[in-house]
Amino acid sequence: MKRAVTPRPTGAAPKGKRQVAKPARTSSKPPTERRGARSQQTRFSSRVRAWGRHHRAMALDSLYRLVRHPVGNLLTMLAIAIALVLPAALWLTLDSAKLLDAELDESATLTVYLETTVDAAQSARIEEAVMADVGVETTRLISAEQGMAEFQQSLGIEDTLAGLEDNPLPASIVIYPQNVEPAAMAQLAQRLEAFSGVDEVRVDLAWVARLRHLADLGRRVALALGVLFGCGVLLVVGNTIRLAVESRRREIEVVMLIGATHAFVRRPFLYSGAWYGVGGGLLALGLLGLGNHWLSMPVAALAGSYGASFVLPHLDVTGSTILLSCSTLLGWLGAWLAVTRHLSSIRPR
Amino acid sequence: MIAFEHVGKRYGGRFEALAHLNFRVARGEMVFLTGHSGAGKSSLLRLIMRLEKPSRGRVVVAGHDIAELHASQVPFYRRQIGVVFQDHQLLFDRSVFSNVSLPLEIQGVEPREAARRVRAALDKVGLLHREKALPVELSGGEQQRVGIARAVVNKPALLLADEPTGNLDPQLSADIMALFEDFNRIGTTVMIASHDLALIARLRHRILRLQDGRLVADEGAA
Repeated sequence: MKRAVTPRPTGAAPKGKRQVAKPARTSSKPPTERRGARSQQTRFSSRVRAWGRHHRAMALDSLYRLVRHPVGNLLTMLAIAIALVLPAALWLTLDSAKLLDAELDESATLTVYLETTVDAAQSARIEEAVMADVGVETTRLISAEQGMAEFQQSLGIEDTLAGLEDNPLPASIVIYPQNVEPAAMAQLAQRLEAFSGVDEVRVDLAWVARLRHLADLGRRVALALGVLFGCGVLLVVGNTIRLAVESRRREIEVVMLIGATHAFVRRPFLYSGAWYGVGGGLLALGLLGLGNHWLSMPVAALAGSYGASFVLPHLDVTGSTILLSCSTLLGWLGAWLAVTRHLSSIRPR
Repeated sequence: MIAFEHVGKRYGGRFEALAHLNFRVARGEMVFLTGHSGAGKSSLLRLIMRLEKPSRGRVVVAGHDIAELHASQVPFYRRQIGVVFQDHQLLFDRSVFSNVSLPLEIQGVEPREAARRVRAALDKVGLLHREKALPVELSGGEQQRVGIARAVVNKPALLLADEPTGNLDPQLSADIMALFEDFNRIGTTVMIASHDLALIARLRHRILRLQDGRLVADEGAA
């Protein structure tokens, strides 16, 4: 900053030199004027420094005020933390459900049932024709005999069915489509139904779609909850700051009488709000970790009993940073709203 | 320094606190403002401090028409004016030193420079030895002197005082007035509202006399 103004010679020159250079001027002006001329050169940089100094001072001052009343402030932070934990936990759960969703996509298939009159050679031709469709990734032909064997195996009723004269099952083709979007799969099914020799196409979509809708719903609920609880955080911080403003009303009136700007008056309260947010965010992270620890054992056991290896999601560094930034921002914003609303009602007497 | 032109101030539509005020105060003058309580002394000072705007007329202070100051400019305008309040408006949870340094803190003066100026101001009012005390530990006269130190610490061009000797005994009052005269001697424009007629008559400065919101006498103008 100083360098930027050096082209003005009088300001850049050292004090002694300037007095020599312009003796008439300096001697005719009182000392305060001289100081004024110099300070004008560095006014901007000194203002920036003063601004930084006040920020630092207020950040520490508000932190000190927070620490001085630990219990009440801890309760405020806990309220913030609880409000943050609920949507965050829901979001985490859905995030891990998304992983499940990806696995499910792999198992999204169509099954084409051929007419019972179709023989093995014909079904191979139909499979070839099906393969030619652009929407088809791969296929797997299940002949009537294979189908029967699988059926018997899965039911464990070999003897009963062995008594049947004819195999009542049709041959079928399992199709792995390229695009697993529900709409694309429905279109593919329509095309396949038009093939000759095809009796029926079944899309095992319903439950995939349902799960997707459910996840979608869950995400929306999480978002709505996030917004609601975010507002809750704003209110909690806003109310706390409102009380703080009220308790320092006299001080505010006095400093406004002697020329404090609104920004100056607001600053300590904004820092208090941000500290509440930081504290609440850290507590929320702690609560999430605790909850994870508390639930991981039964969840692992439950998943194990299904033969799955579902692990409760952890909040990673990015997630933690986002949560902490959000809570800090919310604290700051709550304080800003409260102070701004309140300052207009405070007029120095 | 101060110019009132046909100034009127009404509160709530009917009550006329000030009416048809016309006067000027030159730079470097020392003026007393007197009149019975309710005559409009405080309203007049509040106009100069831009705590209120005139209902009629123009108030020009240090070249600023106060009605035209934008809300964001008001803090910077007030920094040019040192004000001594009757109830001193000190902050009781801060030391004497920190009370006096408040205006410098607001203006962002560098701490070492601020400390130097605060000590100079406290020295001027004779309270340098009490800088670490809290205001409650001081007597009424001492509290008022802290208020004065705070008003002058940033060397304002204009010093206003509203009944600065209101609750003080005659000897202390005379001391306080002598302090104001000292500041006036180094070029500060001083305006003091007071109803202590005996005291201000002795001091031989210009006296503006208000009655029911009107200027009824302008005595001893230089």
